[in-house]
Amino acid sequence: MEEILRMEHITKRFGDVYANRNINFDVQRGEVHTLLGENGAGKSTLMNVLIGLYQPTEGNIYLHGKPVKIESPAQAVKLGIGMVHQHFMLVEAMTVFQNIILGDKREKGVFINTDKARKDILAISEKYGLDIQLDALITDISVGEQQRVEILKALYRDAELLILDEPTAALTDIEVEGLFEVIDRLKSEGKSIIFISHKMREVLHVSDRITILRAGETVCTLPIQETNGPELANLMIGRELVPSQYEKVEAGGEKVLVLQHVDYNKTRKHNGLNDVSLTIAKGEILGIAGVDGNGQSQLAELVTGVVTPDSGDVDLKGSKVFSFDPLAFIKQSVAHIPEDRNLQGLVGNMSVCDNIVLKRTNSKEFSSAGGWRLNKRAMKSYADAMKEKYDIRCASIEQETRNLSGGNQQKVILARELEGDPDLIVAVHPTRGLDIGATRFVHDSLIESREKGCGVLLISADFDEVLEMSDRILVMFEGEIMGEYSGKTPPIEQISLAMAGNKGVEE
Amino acid sequence: MKLGGKSENVIIPVIAVLLAFLIGGVIIAALGSSPVDAVGYLVQGAFGSKTNVGATLVKVTPLIFTGLCACFAYRCGVFNLGGEGQFIVGAVTAVWVTVGWGFEGPLACVIALLLGAVAGGIWGAIPGLLKVFRGLNEMIVSIMLNYVATLFMGWVYTELLRDGSVPQTFPVPDASRLGRLMPGMRATWGLVIAVLIAVAIYYFLFNTSKGFQLRAVGLNATASRYQGFNVRRYVLLSFIVSGAIAGLGGAIELLGTQFRLMSGFALGFGFDGVAIALIAQLNPLATVLVAYFFAVLRTGATTMQVGSGVPTSVIDIIQALVIIFAVAGMAFVKLPGFKQLMLNRQRGKKEE
Repeated sequence: MEEILRMEHITKRFGDVYANRNINFDVQRGEVHTLLGENGAGKSTLMNVLIGLYQPTEGNIYLHGKPVKIESPAQAVKLGIGMVHQHFMLVEAMTVFQNIILGDKREKGVFINTDKARKDILAISEKYGLDIQLDALITDISVGEQQRVEILKALYRDAELLILDEPTAALTDIEVEGLFEVIDRLKSEGKSIIFISHKMREVLHVSDRITILRAGETVCTLPIQETNGPELANLMIGRELVPSQYEKVEAGGEKVLVLQHVDYNKTRKHNGLNDVSLTIAKGEILGIAGVDGNGQSQLAELVTGVVTPDSGDVDLKGSKVFSFDPLAFIKQSVAHIPEDRNLQGLVGNMSVCDNIVLKRTNSKEFSSAGGWRLNKRAMKSYADAMKEKYDIRCASIEQETRNLSGGNQQKVILARELEGDPDLIVAVHPTRGLDIGATRFVHDSLIESREKGCGVLLISADFDEVLEMSDRILVMFEGEIMGEYSGKTPPIEQISLAMAGNKGVEE
Repeated sequence: MKLGGKSENVIIPVIAVLLAFLIGGVIIAALGSSPVDAVGYLVQGAFGSKTNVGATLVKVTPLIFTGLCACFAYRCGVFNLGGEGQFIVGAVTAVWVTVGWGFEGPLACVIALLLGAVAGGIWGAIPGLLKVFRGLNEMIVSIMLNYVATLFMGWVYTELLRDGSVPQTFPVPDASRLGRLMPGMRATWGLVIAVLIAVAIYYFLFNTSKGFQLRAVGLNATASRYQGFNVRRYVLLSFIVSGAIAGLGGAIELLGTQFRLMSGFALGFGFDGVAIALIAQLNPLATVLVAYFFAVLRTGATTMQVGSGVPTSVIDIIQALVIIFAVAGMAFVKLPGFKQLMLNRQRGKKEE
């Protein structure tokens, strides 16, 4: 077999953080080589190095056995590397044809030889079975067809090596079948493909070889014949059960939140919810594990009133919810630690003090005359007390929150949300981007709230965090609940498989 | 009450003004006049006599209203560029009440002021409603409505309430006009109303729970929604109030200063208001001061032209430069590089 690409000892460091560490990876002619790994395993970084968006800190890239230095995506295209991004890079207001020839450099003159370009494109489309309508607007065609346009675009630029980044993420099942046929055709014509995914079924179906990345390093490369789903899931998640430092409890008490057969945008595999049922009792932490983008954000928005379900029932503290509106949920003592601190959690240009009292300025504590006279002194002394209690490190409570570190920003949110004994806390990626000390603080605070009898819904893409904190664990995949597992003795292998979309293994 | 809070909010506009005058001075010198003399005439024109001071106060009143109009909407994060149109419908309403209804006196004046504000509020509600319920860009809608208002006013003074052969409306009857602050000075109680409204808005924004939430919506609408604030209601409210402020300003301008509608009424007031609000860093009290500064330039310019032969358009240039420098200055201090520099200097000071 002929080697197309070899990446040797690739290391990419951002500051002190290694995104890639000593990675070896190669692709042969006519093969599908899959990169498998969790979020943050280093797949995207490696591909960004390959297409010239990043320069590797160390390591070399060889194309057809010759060392190359790829300094820009344009150069990568010239070298025959084509990337189909997960989020398509198409100009929606233009036609398919215009998108394909957009920015193509083969014509040196001012004018575009439209007839020739059309003929060439149609020939490629024929050859690989990429069925497209050349003159349709991008907005008018399906997601599957948009993807075919992206592939065609790469092939039109003479790509030998195609990178498909999570190509099935937005597709329907039938479209996925179509994609696999295209991939087969590409293979048989001698093109090589790097397939990026974390879905076991598809990976097993389409790959010739699989390289597993974990925490920025290569775990191993396996030919498809020598492996199976459970092994891959294990290698990908790669965890031994570490005993949690928190005691796990079994709460059989009063139910705070009950979801029954809730649907939201269910036709979308990603960012939707499909027939979700779950309960949270007082004094327990329910952890939701899963790869990002499988409906977790929507679940969080739904149980805090930001979005309204399409169907199904939501019961809050024993009574059915009719009005999905954040204020209604706040009044029912639902606290929300949102996934995007800066966008959803804080008003960055307001002070620490203002952010701590943000939703309570109407209360008697902070204003009089029905909200027409703010009691600034009370606000300040309260904020000062919170600053001490939650150990918020800032120059003063007058400092704007956008200038704080992530950990301190999160503490401001905790100070606002956890005070006043909520009955339900919805915490989404509560420690994302935080250092160990701040992470510990957040975890301790959540456990403390649990001890006080609060129900906690913990949604996190960090599997270790879910294992550490949860009394019960649910796994979400493509908007569905894949199974429920004990938090005291979590069956890691089964959970790993469920996260990768394999259902039947639940006992 | 403190004005800015942070020192950069005061320093930048001051530097902007000084730089603008420096360049203005160069231009005046290039025109062959003495910059010092020109500024002398400018100051004399604005402050030289009781009449001149009064003239400045007459000019400042409408600018305060359009400035506050822009300021209030921007505080809620929406861009109301329709201050001029809202100002005009306020004035048209006031003329209609005082001339068209056929009765005179202070009551007519008060009704005209109130209905002027209501009309401005309705005019402001249009872009607000379209934004909230249809997602249309409020800047474009509000600008377009300026033309609608201007042309509507044209119909009023050429057709509906036309006074004789000249295209202008009948004058507001003496008994229905706004009272003067003191005899011999043209400034009216409208100025007092303007300042009171500035104080009221300042109080509302910074000392009430609703004002607090409105500012939060303006700074981060998503986070505000997650906090349970009714973002749409605040956006709509800010448009209505903002429009009402401009509408009241229009009524006051008509009942206190112009008395008739005619071609050119309110021309440029809307965008001057936007500039004033921006230079004032969206602070209602600072808006009054900046509006005053603009008015000084306007009254002084005429005297300068007569005295030193420097055309008034030089003042337009200086005014434009002030806006450019003030906005550029704010953008500059927000640059990451500059922030780092200031941070390092602060750290350096602490270590010393």
